[in-house]
Amino acid sequence: MTSSIDGPITAALMAGREFFTRTEVSEDRRSLYKEGGREGDVFYRDRWSHDKVVRSTHGVNCTGSCSWKVYVKDGIITWESQQTDYPTAGADRPDYEPRGCPRGAAFSWYTYSPTRVRYPYVRGVLLEMFREARNRLGDPVAAWASIVEEPERAARYKKARGKGGLVRCSWEEAAEMFAAAHVHTIRRWGPDRIAGFSPIPAMSMVSHASGARWTSLIGGAMLSFYDWYADLPVASPQIFGDQTDVPESGDWWDASYLMMWGSNVPVTRTPDAHWMAEARYRGQKVVVVAPDYADNVKFADEWLPAAPGTDAALAMAMGHVVLREFFVDRQVEYFTDYVRRYTDLPYLIRLEQMPDGGARPGKFLTAADLGHEVENAAFMPVLMDQAGNPVVPNGSLGHRFGEAGLGRWNLDLGDVTPALSLLGGEDGEQRLLELPRFDHAGGPDAAGGTVARGVPVRRVGDHLVTTVMDLMLAQYGVARPGLEGDYARGYDDAEAPYTPAWQEPITGVPADAVARIAREFAQNAEDSRGRSMIIVGAGANHWFHSDLIYRAMLLLTTITGCQGVNGGGWAHYVGQEKARPVTGWAQVASALDWSRPARQMIQTAYWYLHTDQFRYDNYDMSRLSAATGTGRFAGMGTADGLAMSSRLGWMPSYPTFNRNSLDLVDEADAAGVEPAEYVVRSLQDGSLEFACQDPDARENFPRILTMWRANLFGSSGKGNEYFLKHLLGTDDSVSARETPPEGRPRDIRWHEEAPEGKLDLLVTLDFRMTSSTLLSDIVLPAATWYEKHDISTTDMHPFIHSFNPAIDPPWETRTDWDIFRTLATRFSELAKEHLGVRRDLVAAPLMHDSPDAMATPGGVVKDWRAGECEPVPGVTMPRLIVVERDYGAIGDKLTALGPLMEKLGATTKAVTFDVGREVDQLKTRLGTVHAPGRASDGRPNLEKAISVAETIMTLSGTTNGHLATQGFRTLEKRTGTRLADLAAEHEGKQITFADTQAAPVPVITSPEWSGSETGGRRYSPFTINTERLKPWHTLTGRQHFFLDHDWMLELGEALPTYKPPLDMTEIFGEAPIGEVNELGVSVRYLTPHNKWSIHSEYQDNLFMLALSRGGPVIWLSDRDAAKVGIADNDWVEAVNRNGVVAARAIVSHRMPEGTVYMHHAQDRLIDVPRTETTGKRGGIHNSLTRIMLKPSHLIGGYAQLAFAFNYLGPTGNQRDEVTMIRKRRTEVRY
Amino acid sequence: MDTFLWVVFPYLCLATFVVGHLWRYRYDKFGWTTRSSQLYENRLLRFGSPLFHFGMLGVVGGHVIGLLIPTAWTDFLGIDDHAYHLVAVIGGLAAGIATVVGMVILIYRRRTVGPVFSATTNMDKVMYAFLGAVIVLGMWNTIAGSILNLGGEYNYREGVSVWYRSFLAFQPQPELMATAPIGFQLHAFVAFVLFALWPFTRLVHVFSAPLGYLTRPYIVYRSRSTDRLGSTPPKRGWDRVG
Repeated sequence: MTSSIDGPITAALMAGREFFTRTEVSEDRRSLYKEGGREGDVFYRDRWSHDKVVRSTHGVNCTGSCSWKVYVKDGIITWESQQTDYPTAGADRPDYEPRGCPRGAAFSWYTYSPTRVRYPYVRGVLLEMFREARNRLGDPVAAWASIVEEPERAARYKKARGKGGLVRCSWEEAAEMFAAAHVHTIRRWGPDRIAGFSPIPAMSMVSHASGARWTSLIGGAMLSFYDWYADLPVASPQIFGDQTDVPESGDWWDASYLMMWGSNVPVTRTPDAHWMAEARYRGQKVVVVAPDYADNVKFADEWLPAAPGTDAALAMAMGHVVLREFFVDRQVEYFTDYVRRYTDLPYLIRLEQMPDGGARPGKFLTAADLGHEVENAAFMPVLMDQAGNPVVPNGSLGHRFGEAGLGRWNLDLGDVTPALSLLGGEDGEQRLLELPRFDHAGGPDAAGGTVARGVPVRRVGDHLVTTVMDLMLAQYGVARPGLEGDYARGYDDAEAPYTPAWQEPITGVPADAVARIAREFAQNAEDSRGRSMIIVGAGANHWFHSDLIYRAMLLLTTITGCQGVNGGGWAHYVGQEKARPVTGWAQVASALDWSRPARQMIQTAYWYLHTDQFRYDNYDMSRLSAATGTGRFAGMGTADGLAMSSRLGWMPSYPTFNRNSLDLVDEADAAGVEPAEYVVRSLQDGSLEFACQDPDARENFPRILTMWRANLFGSSGKGNEYFLKHLLGTDDSVSARETPPEGRPRDIRWHEEAPEGKLDLLVTLDFRMTSSTLLSDIVLPAATWYEKHDISTTDMHPFIHSFNPAIDPPWETRTDWDIFRTLATRFSELAKEHLGVRRDLVAAPLMHDSPDAMATPGGVVKDWRAGECEPVPGVTMPRLIVVERDYGAIGDKLTALGPLMEKLGATTKAVTFDVGREVDQLKTRLGTVHAPGRASDGRPNLEKAISVAETIMTLSGTTNGHLATQGFRTLEKRTGTRLADLAAEHEGKQITFADTQAAPVPVITSPEWSGSETGGRRYSPFTINTERLKPWHTLTGRQHFFLDHDWMLELGEALPTYKPPLDMTEIFGEAPIGEVNELGVSVRYLTPHNKWSIHSEYQDNLFMLALSRGGPVIWLSDRDAAKVGIADNDWVEAVNRNGVVAARAIVSHRMPEGTVYMHHAQDRLIDVPRTETTGKRGGIHNSLTRIMLKPSHLIGGYAQLAFAFNYLGPTGNQRDEVTMIRKRRTEVRY
Repeated sequence: MDTFLWVVFPYLCLATFVVGHLWRYRYDKFGWTTRSSQLYENRLLRFGSPLFHFGMLGVVGGHVIGLLIPTAWTDFLGIDDHAYHLVAVIGGLAAGIATVVGMVILIYRRRTVGPVFSATTNMDKVMYAFLGAVIVLGMWNTIAGSILNLGGEYNYREGVSVWYRSFLAFQPQPELMATAPIGFQLHAFVAFVLFALWPFTRLVHVFSAPLGYLTRPYIVYRSRSTDRLGSTPPKRGWDRVG
């Protein structure tokens, strides 16, 4: 024995071993050597063995789009792990992999979970009535009519919604009821009374396209989601004329200064967060702006804890510092050069005389104002060269369309060096401007008042003009010698907006910290030529005035030359928006291969009207007007603004008219006039009305809503209780007061009794039970992400990922594609007989990226209803287009690619792709339909989901190099610059589904997007604009700071400014924040995203429930908790006029005083008791919110302020809300 | 009735005990466990567990001596009844008290410590009831019979022990139990119920007492056996290469 172990006793025991065993013990008594006897391993080896590994991903709108290995054993999905075969991101940087988070790793639990929807379900009461009526009447359509047209019978099943009572039924019966309801609704009310809702195509494009294609084919309205989710940054269309084009996360590595502003990267961008952590080792400075000690704060070098909703004040003050130090005190050549070329700062603005003698900024000076007789002259803004001569530069909206602009739509300034400022002109003339301010505490939002500041001016013809730059400096209060007015005297001037000292009492952030960070941000941009980045997200974007918050932030990234530079600019991440193969997806999803246009609706406005939230507004639009306004909003309710937006064709509006859009065409035929003319005439003589003017009339109700990949009632439905009451007609907890007669909308018909239960049929497809399925009349069992073929992309990385079935859909579940095939086939059988071929009058809004955007010269609003102009479809009102619908052929058309594809091509952002060659290829690759005598005969076969995926990728430039190159060549004709080389390296490349199954595949640079990935470069938006002088899709073709539409001027938002969060005390009489009374303490109520769930997904997952506290919880600060005696884990109740929430309290010092968080989408399936306040089941996070429409989001028909689906629309913001919160006193009952 | 109680029933229980263990070992190897709750609570367990287990070892040892060793053997060794009982009672009391105190601590802990109570199965509760009953009845017999002399003089070595040996020898003499005091009858009856439950409870861990650990070196190398390469036997149709 060489040494003893642990003392003599142990050593003696070990030595004794030899007496009991024949196996060899080592000399030092430390080891034992045995042979065989490894049978015990079998269990463990078997536990981790599997039969196959299948690549798939998760379609949950988390933006991850992570590739996963799904393991299958004995036909059972067992677990998943991260794929590690991503292509490299470049030799000098880390890789993307491994991507994934605990939520994704927990997904396979759902496959066999108790919450899985395994069979079709129908509301029991409804099914009984339907069966009875069907037997009695012999026809399913008549049976459906006999239920919904009979108020007592209809109320019976509507009142039962959400109260259990779903019963299993066969696919055949469910499909028949679905089909009968649709046939009846189309015939009785019109196809635009039917809506489909499925968000975020990028997260699973085929599934999205399945129902969207069905809805579009029958003439139903697809509801937008980006604006509805309040994820749509309205500032993006306003500034860039493009929606959410942002860098991939790999580009964070390129940034040398990174701000995370209202975006909690480790929690909400978990698989990408490593880039941020890694870039810090490269020397990147990280600054976080967040009201709470959020997870990302611990990564930060500095934390600016701005009070919730005051981000614009912080950003304005930073802008003040940057303008002062980098544009006035000192000029930075890089910045000056950048803003001259790529922004509207040098453009000339006409000044308008105010009635009281003052002046205010008016409209862009255009070529038309100069008397130029060229095509589209009113859309060619003017700037001034150094010599003081007005110049009409290339690249404006006027050049984008029409013959004259060919080859001139570019940012080439030639020899012209634009004058940024008019200061120092010969005559030194200046004008004192009245600029609105909104920062006065305590007053209503509109009572801000003004500040007078002088700007240098010149005369051009009859026009008194100044530059946007001069206006900007005046707005920011940056004094320059010789200019009169109330300019800031220094950073410490707390009275003058927008100095660092001014913002301190608003945001709570020390003035010197703001100045220092602003200086660093700009200095870094100067030193690195634009590599300062702001990652920005929902924390800043979900506010009523989010457009202003973003404009103030984006000014920082733009004037410092960071936009269109790798490692710089805005990085807005709020939802998985980027469907990279966008063209193919749009064609298939909107069924543009069969009929155009498809009906697409702004969802926020849809629910604002149809859930009757407009009845509870208690304020009119003039509350939002600036002191410099003209009073154009006086007496207009928000619903009036919406109605105006609809009738002028700015925004879509469905249901459109108060009559069936099919009957209108028949009536026009009977009257012997063109349908469009008939409609215009009928609107003028009053025999026809827009439905939005009387949303509570039964002929204007939405009748059927189908949801798939969506959870409206557990996740996105702002004003959840209003939905329950007015839309569904079941129990609710609304206690809000309706607007008294004197404040009601002017043009909207008011019904004394608000209707309840407007919707006849609610259908949800899902693989798990949610609040939405519980409230639905028909629930259809869907396949999960491990049971179908599909494709996924994201903003966060450039790869296409495929979904693949690890197992076939179990039980009676089906893929979304197969479900809509089933439904459409049954519908067609019934419709052939009951509907036949009809002609449908579609009212389409004035579209962005089309000549429609030139419908409103100068942004001057003229209302034909008020007699200010003639109603002209497509100019002063919506386009009126007749579409033929063969209702007996819907099923055929759903599963075949239609002939309009090669006939009309596929258009994205005004670039039309000729896809004749692609359609021929698809015929060979997918096979054709054999159906002699039918429309689908000989067309490419789309019966299988995988064929749809192939079609999407074949018809998009990002996945088909031939189309990308062709698109750039088309664009080159317009710009006159070189572009096609960007895609030429991939001209022969076609990404197929098989490629995506083998490994993640990076996409191809394409005119569908604004960034270049040529040569394996990391994606950053607008690099094509800055490097190839391609204009932005705006009025000037440059990034816009000045917005001259009448409504923007009225709101005082022509320039970036700060408006505080809406004052709920002033508007709705809620207790002011901080007030403590017998009802509890009043707090700001925020619903940010959560570490343990993605929307409502995963919060019901056993693993995530175990990792988190589980069930509904509200986070509040220890200080607020102490005020009303709440201890951690106490049951609390949050109550405001919109509803009631029951939850447990998490008391944490990381929360700021005066603010509570109820994490978004804690569905009502887990641990939701009855409330103390109403005795009804507790609500969800959205029980305390409601829809508030901002008028500036409704503008359309004017340059970049024009509608496109999910490009622009009113946001479903919800952050301005407040609530009382208190400890629950009574026993918790379920 | 006596035949059923003291012949049929005990054999049924014994059979269940034996077959049950075989079944459990065959089909529930991963459930063959003490269901240790040390992770949830350690302070009470530190005292309760050794008291109970070492007490139990004494009790078991006492039963082996008392039941299996005939009076004739001790007589042969010249140990008289008085001396035998003195040792048995003192040893038995010490072991019994340690067991009971340990058990009280453990049950108190199990009921009052939330996580431990949550980890308690229904089978555990049933088992506790019977185990507790056996121990209490046993203590009662010791105290009542040997110390307080309640219910008259009864020498179990002439009755219960003889019956027990006859039972094990498959020549049961039920009349010996039928005449035993009710306390001994109950103790024996409940004990047999416990034996029947045994294989279905955590008590199986008795047969997995880690005695080998006492002498086992810290590192165990277990090489493949020469006749089989993998952990599973080769499947039909596959030839071994090399």
